[in-house]
Amino acid sequence: MSEWLNHPAIQSGLAPFLISLLVAELLLRLRLSGLAIVAGFAVTVYLASNFAVSPLTATRKIVWLGLTSGLVGVVLGYFSSSLWRPVLAVLAGAAAIWVGLPVLRHQPLEVAMQWAAGCALFTAWLVFWMDTLQDDSARAGSAGVALGLGSGGCALLGGSALLGQFGLAVGAAAGAYLLIQMLTNNRLPCGRSYTLPLSLICALISCLAVLTTQLPWYALAPLAAIPLAAKIPVSERLQLWVQSLLLAITTLACAAGALYLTWRVAGAPLY
Amino acid sequence: MLTRYSVAVLLLAGLPIIAQAADSYTIDPPHTYAHFSVSHLGFSTMQGRFDKSSGKITLDRAAKKGTVDIAIDASSISTGWPKRDQHLSGPDFFNAPEYPTITYKSSAVKFNGDTPSSVEGNLTLLGVTKPVTLNITAFKCGTNPMNQKELCGADASAQIKRSDFGMKYALPNVGDDIKLVFEVEAYKD
Repeated sequence: MSEWLNHPAIQSGLAPFLISLLVAELLLRLRLSGLAIVAGFAVTVYLASNFAVSPLTATRKIVWLGLTSGLVGVVLGYFSSSLWRPVLAVLAGAAAIWVGLPVLRHQPLEVAMQWAAGCALFTAWLVFWMDTLQDDSARAGSAGVALGLGSGGCALLGGSALLGQFGLAVGAAAGAYLLIQMLTNNRLPCGRSYTLPLSLICALISCLAVLTTQLPWYALAPLAAIPLAAKIPVSERLQLWVQSLLLAITTLACAAGALYLTWRVAGAPLY
Repeated sequence: MLTRYSVAVLLLAGLPIIAQAADSYTIDPPHTYAHFSVSHLGFSTMQGRFDKSSGKITLDRAAKKGTVDIAIDASSISTGWPKRDQHLSGPDFFNAPEYPTITYKSSAVKFNGDTPSSVEGNLTLLGVTKPVTLNITAFKCGTNPMNQKELCGADASAQIKRSDFGMKYALPNVGDDIKLVFEVEAYKD
């Protein structure tokens, strides 16, 4: 059993997928199915890493920001305001700088400033645009699958299996969330409890992978386009599974672009 | 006259003390490497080393005292395959972008006769500091015949668990027990 749980495919694929299926279904009545993302991510953290705090490495910061952002998303669901979107984007940008700080402090000031600004902008962008999808679970679900698989796959190719596993776990969790909708032809509750942890975790993973692995910075551009690609017009008259499939294909094309750009630089993964 | 004589006697008496004061040495990077070995999936034992290191050593063989202070560049890891080196120096293992230096600072040097036999000290890896004892398996001081400089050299080894330092990725597939072997040469200042 323990040998089985040590397999990376189980840790970052099957386990988060199954747990997210369960959580999305169990929390449906509470309209908190979006927490499936945090649940899937937490399972992978438990299996592949740990919940340690000290020393507070950049990776551990991502873990704790990801977990707490789910709760923040739930709380914000009770206080609807148009102000939250830009506020969350700015806070996410600041979080990106905080995460990258342990790495950036070893860089020349000019370089550190460039990376900090770039990561903050990228993270704020993703959080802002994913937030615009919070009322459309099919679009958010499709974008989530692409963002998780894209950021995780890029980190994996870039040279960090652990960051890769974290991203792929988010992709698997979003896949479970989307699959329930496609199979039942019913929309699940979405909200910020889904979009905030998903966008924050994926953005931070990608930023840290750029800073610490061979992931080229320009591979972030196709990832940044994913929430926009999820906004393409799709006829509401189509069945939900068809809509979801079309949106998944569109957004996954962006993820594939990011993977290709990373593969050109880093080559095939070591593992 | 008597006073001058007394001063002279005191100075002469003090000479051996001055001669026996701790000698200071600076590590010679081209002859100082930290090697490591770790089980790869239980099939074989993979060897690697860090190519860049620096540091200072002091030694007082008469007083049986000494200090060791070594800094290792975590990004200089070398296992014979650049792709693997990038992975090992990345966030999954040594996390060199975040923790660029691995340090070892001694707290005590044990002697067997006038030869150092072990070093007790603290290894700092990934921001975590743990006590590690280096067992010295070979030690020699003398004059380097090539450049006529005074030189000391040693081989030392230690056993650590990487999980103690928070390096938990790929456990238990990539082994937890790490054997460290240091080859050190240092020129007298």
